[in-house]
Amino acid sequence: MRRWFLAPTASMLAVLFFAPMLIIVAYSLLARGVYGGVTDDWTLESYRRLLDPLYGAILLRTLTLSTVATVLCLVLGFPLALFISRSGSRKNVYLQLVMIPFWTSFLVRTYAWMFLLRDTGLINSALLALGVISEPLPLLYNNGAVLVGLVYSFLPFVVLPLFATLERLDKSLLEAAADLGARPWEAVLRVVVPLCAPAFRAGAVLTFIPCLGAYLTPDLLGGGKTVMAGNLIQNQFTTARDWPFGSAVSLVLMAVVMVLLIVSMRSQREDLL
Amino acid sequence: MKRLLPLYAVAAFAFLHLPLLVLAVFSVNSSRFTVWQGFSLRWYEAALADAQLAQAAWNSLLIALAATVISTAIGTICAYGLWKGRSPVVSGSLYTTLVTPEIVMGVALLAFFQWAFRFLHVQLGMHTVVLAHVMFSVAYVVIVVMARLRTVDPALEEAALDLGGTEWDAFRLVTLPQLWPAVASAGLLAFTISFDDYVITSMVAGVDSETLPMVIYAMARRGANPVVNAISTMIVVGLGVLIVVSERLRTS
Amino acid sequence: MRRRTLFLMGLGGLSGCMRDTRPRLNIFNWSSYVGPETIPNFEREFNVRVRYAVYESNEEMLARVMSGNSGWDVVFPTSYLIDAMRSFELLSPLDHGRLPNLHHLDAPFKKPGWDPELRWGVPYMWNATGICHAAHRDVTAWGDLWAPDLQGRITMLDDPVDVFGACLKKLGYSINTRNPDELRKAQQEAVEQKEYLRAYINAEVRDQLIAGDVLAAQLWSTTAQQAIDESKRLAFCFPDEGYALYPDVAVVLRESKRAALAHEFLNYLLRPEVAAGVVKGARTACANGSARALLPEEIRNNETLYPPPHVLARGEWALSSTPEIQRLRDRLWTEIKSA
Repeated sequence: MRRWFLAPTASMLAVLFFAPMLIIVAYSLLARGVYGGVTDDWTLESYRRLLDPLYGAILLRTLTLSTVATVLCLVLGFPLALFISRSGSRKNVYLQLVMIPFWTSFLVRTYAWMFLLRDTGLINSALLALGVISEPLPLLYNNGAVLVGLVYSFLPFVVLPLFATLERLDKSLLEAAADLGARPWEAVLRVVVPLCAPAFRAGAVLTFIPCLGAYLTPDLLGGGKTVMAGNLIQNQFTTARDWPFGSAVSLVLMAVVMVLLIVSMRSQREDLL
Repeated sequence: MKRLLPLYAVAAFAFLHLPLLVLAVFSVNSSRFTVWQGFSLRWYEAALADAQLAQAAWNSLLIALAATVISTAIGTICAYGLWKGRSPVVSGSLYTTLVTPEIVMGVALLAFFQWAFRFLHVQLGMHTVVLAHVMFSVAYVVIVVMARLRTVDPALEEAALDLGGTEWDAFRLVTLPQLWPAVASAGLLAFTISFDDYVITSMVAGVDSETLPMVIYAMARRGANPVVNAISTMIVVGLGVLIVVSERLRTS
Repeated sequence: MRRRTLFLMGLGGLSGCMRDTRPRLNIFNWSSYVGPETIPNFEREFNVRVRYAVYESNEEMLARVMSGNSGWDVVFPTSYLIDAMRSFELLSPLDHGRLPNLHHLDAPFKKPGWDPELRWGVPYMWNATGICHAAHRDVTAWGDLWAPDLQGRITMLDDPVDVFGACLKKLGYSINTRNPDELRKAQQEAVEQKEYLRAYINAEVRDQLIAGDVLAAQLWSTTAQQAIDESKRLAFCFPDEGYALYPDVAVVLRESKRAALAHEFLNYLLRPEVAAGVVKGARTACANGSARALLPEEIRNNETLYPPPHVLARGEWALSSTPEIQRLRDRLWTEIKSA
């Protein structure tokens, strides 16, 4: 009987997830047609191309940007989570304040940063008006803009697990630390932070993995230049029309994501499903 | 420290909300440029008068409704099935769909549809978008409903079975009524996710199925346009309301 | 309960009947490439409904059309793609019997190099690629776009043919070269330029030029003219080293089930007054000789759209490549973008 309940989902997954992924695997092993599409020749050419340092650089850039974004999220998110956990009755209001921007349109939020960072955008206009600078700063279309976009998008992902852990923290530990002569920030750093290690790990995973696969943020804020893995994949499936190579890059990205996931799941037991 | 923390929190909240507030403020600016020139609703008028936008919004609505109904239905009964007895395969697969990068999912679905359509003589269109949206929404529905199911007492269902009901009756008459708030909340969640999706939709949309995010993306690529500010503000407010309602239902 | 259901179903059925039953035509064109009245007039006169969507680059269009199952009827590839699309059996041969207006075409376009018998497409409008720049800056050559002091304020087109074209011309080669070494040198030039480059974007840069964010952009003459119309502080130049010329061609896709209607549309576009309307609306140069006579003085003599003979002589018409060279170009383009 239980089978019937799972059947629709299972068949949906089989048809709309596993079958497409299998096709991608197949494509990654086929040769590219002259103007696009695939031919019937099996080859490892696409994977061999991935060994080119050029693409290794893209993967490295993706990993670096994702790491920096994750670290920034953790560093910036922890004090915020701390504040919320200490705000008594208004906790839920603050939590909603954190989540609401997150749940509204991702595209809109990315566009908002384009609007702010342009040469004639608000930040430059304000700085020019205040006389701080004489020429607009190139804030958009570079790695920095992409980083801001990524941190902005995933900060809430970090705040929630940190808050959940901080809330359950035993307040008496902090009192004990104070009794022993620790100043407030020392107590936080030496006592609270280590106790939140699992939450940091959870937040890091929740942020790092989507960052790896980010496409829209580097596309809109990077100006077609900052190529992360996601942009490379999209490019190969559309304008470059090199489906085999795009498939190979997709699978490598998936592999990296799965490895990270397995490693992180070994060190914590999360049962969402 | 006691004083720094609230200050920091203010700054952090400002960081989170300022971009959207700025968009909203400049959506009522009468000038095209980022110089305040007076209050005006002309960009909202332009947005509402644009036929392409209206068509795209309608498409987004239809797709989101269809995808929501389907994904909520199969997600709910899937969560129920998982609650009755674990299935690592299904759980693992659903989890994998959550972590797969959207762009990879998008290209995989595109490749699949193109290949399938060689035999089926169908084209990319609204139906392919709906299928894609169902695919990535189900996992979210399952998570929300599962969370609620964990608070349900299995003994109630056993009692129903002891009294002579079938398993389907037990589900329909005992467990499901307790789940309605979670199901509704999951549905709203699925709706917002579907309505907002750009990456996967852009890969599998056809001639007739331009959605609102696709139009916004095209306009955003063309440079800052106050009409985009106006639409964005409307979307943020609309989706924001839905999310608040969804949260209320989930925690009720 | 049952009666209500039946009633609702009946209503649903009725609404289905009231749906639009006019024949449909799906047209996929470059953005800003028709006049404001071109499509509505066609819909009214022929009592049809047009699904009109736009794209920003040939590659975008080709990616959609390649599947052979995209749903579009009429698209507008640039001439050098005709060979490739033909070899992929994407095109439907033209029925000249249905195109009585063909004689309106300008002489050079009646027997063009890429399609001497006009079997596959009707020349529509043509463009050149040059540099649209802030008028106060002295920009006359491709070499000027490799200037460090323009850091972050220049853009190039997101189009391999145009980027390679500029680099090849800067090095003194032909834009249609089939020499792999020349192409590789051009690729290196492009990678060097990336340091100063703001972005690879197409028509989107228009707003940024007008706003002054971008000081110099590689741009098509049509789009440049549209920008100059909105801001007197912009100018357009045809680079000294030479530049690329492209005609865009209206074709009927083989997958189209409405070939007859598509031909009607192509014939409609060939009418002098319609072509003139497109030119006035889109600020482009048309391949329609009879239409030129109908244009107002200021457009006919507009040097950006219709360069004088000595400038035109510097231009080179873009031609298609062999499959191997095309593959090399595609790969080099990915490498440029990824660097």
